[in-house]
Amino acid sequence: MNEAEQSFYVDSSDRLIDVLRDRLGLKSVKEGCGTGDCGLCAVLLNGRLVNSCLVLAAQCRGASVTTLEGLLNDPLTRKLQSKFLEHNAAQCGFCTPAMLVAAKDILTHTPRPSTGQIQAGLSGVLCRCTGYYPIIQAIKEVSEEEKERS
Amino acid sequence: MVTPSFDLYVPTDLRDALKFLESNGGHTAILARGTDLLPRIRRRLAWAPTLLDISGLDGDLRYIKRDDGIVRLGALTTVADLLETDLLGMRLEMIRKAGELFGDPQIRNVATVGGNVCSASSSEDLIPVFLALDAKVKLISSRGERVLPLEGFIMGKRETARKNFEILCEVFFEAPRGNCWSGFEKLGRRNILIVSLVSEALLLTLEDDLETIRGVKVALNRVAGKVPARAAKAEAFLSGKKLTPEVIREAQDVLASELALKGDFRASGEYRAELAKVFLKRLLLGCASRIRGG
Repeated sequence: MNEAEQSFYVDSSDRLIDVLRDRLGLKSVKEGCGTGDCGLCAVLLNGRLVNSCLVLAAQCRGASVTTLEGLLNDPLTRKLQSKFLEHNAAQCGFCTPAMLVAAKDILTHTPRPSTGQIQAGLSGVLCRCTGYYPIIQAIKEVSEEEKERS
Repeated sequence: MVTPSFDLYVPTDLRDALKFLESNGGHTAILARGTDLLPRIRRRLAWAPTLLDISGLDGDLRYIKRDDGIVRLGALTTVADLLETDLLGMRLEMIRKAGELFGDPQIRNVATVGGNVCSASSSEDLIPVFLALDAKVKLISSRGERVLPLEGFIMGKRETARKNFEILCEVFFEAPRGNCWSGFEKLGRRNILIVSLVSEALLLTLEDDLETIRGVKVALNRVAGKVPARAAKAEAFLSGKKLTPEVIREAQDVLASELALKGDFRASGEYRAELAKVFLKRLLLGCASRIRGG
């Protein structure tokens, strides 16, 4: 769990999101639809973006789970956060944690993404304020600044 | 929305899973990565007192192999795995295309080949793809193995020939060779998480003149009612003909004549049939052009 080993009992029907929010207090993980459509509960499971409402907690035995809270010391995530602020890439803010985790996932696998690749990478996270443009801009700028730095 | 409660059995290995099903199959549903089953349970559309969680059996059931021209996909192979492998080859473009249009990134990372096939509904896009490849499925139980053609395995909407003590462990098919190419088309009402109005997969093989059709295999997500199947009449009509605009036009009419598509809140039956015709033309021309080196 965010790089710290944790063991506890869960109920058969507990989903990963239930354990993250209610047992571990990781409230960056939001429950929008609860059926895998909105992506607001996205986390990294063994390094891959998944919806935590579609995974049973018991299925995560032995796995590594990363939420936004676990990325707060990650330099790339910090940069994404600042750029999101700069671009006003959050309106109501409800999708922002999942957007940041998805953005981090995009840049991890594709350090220089095209706009199309960013759109595809974010396509499973819905923003109902429809503020996608500044989010895409923010991610783009982080990738460009990283390129200049290297 | 509260998750209805159920028991979960976590097997130590495949043998243990099969042993469990032997005595508990009657009241057990198999859970792979849950992208279909869990939302259905939460929406009260499905339920079983016990779920058998096979998601930990990656070692036995998650693989992509190609030997002697046969492609073998373990049941727990994910859609992302299909997109990341280079074992499939260019001619299987329909798998790539269906994979790219599948769900969204989070879903592609977990949704499995076996889950897609066993869900047996018209929204499972890998089914038409595998049907067009004459794929077979391998079922395993503690009594042994059996192999069924996918076409016979899918018996109706959400109805398969799997016995409750069996696990679908593999989907396999012959890799297309020679003058052939494949394609996949799908249309829904948005660009991600598409519930397709029509999904159509086609495999075209031409004779050495690159004009005459040696064979076409075309499968749709629904042919009659809501059950995915091959379009046998269109296939038979096209076989041996030269691929001319006139032949394509006639094939479109033959295809429309064998579809008994029902309308629903997403689209009318007529609209779906029209789409199926457009896709047939697009796929035939697209595949022919790729075979000819275009």
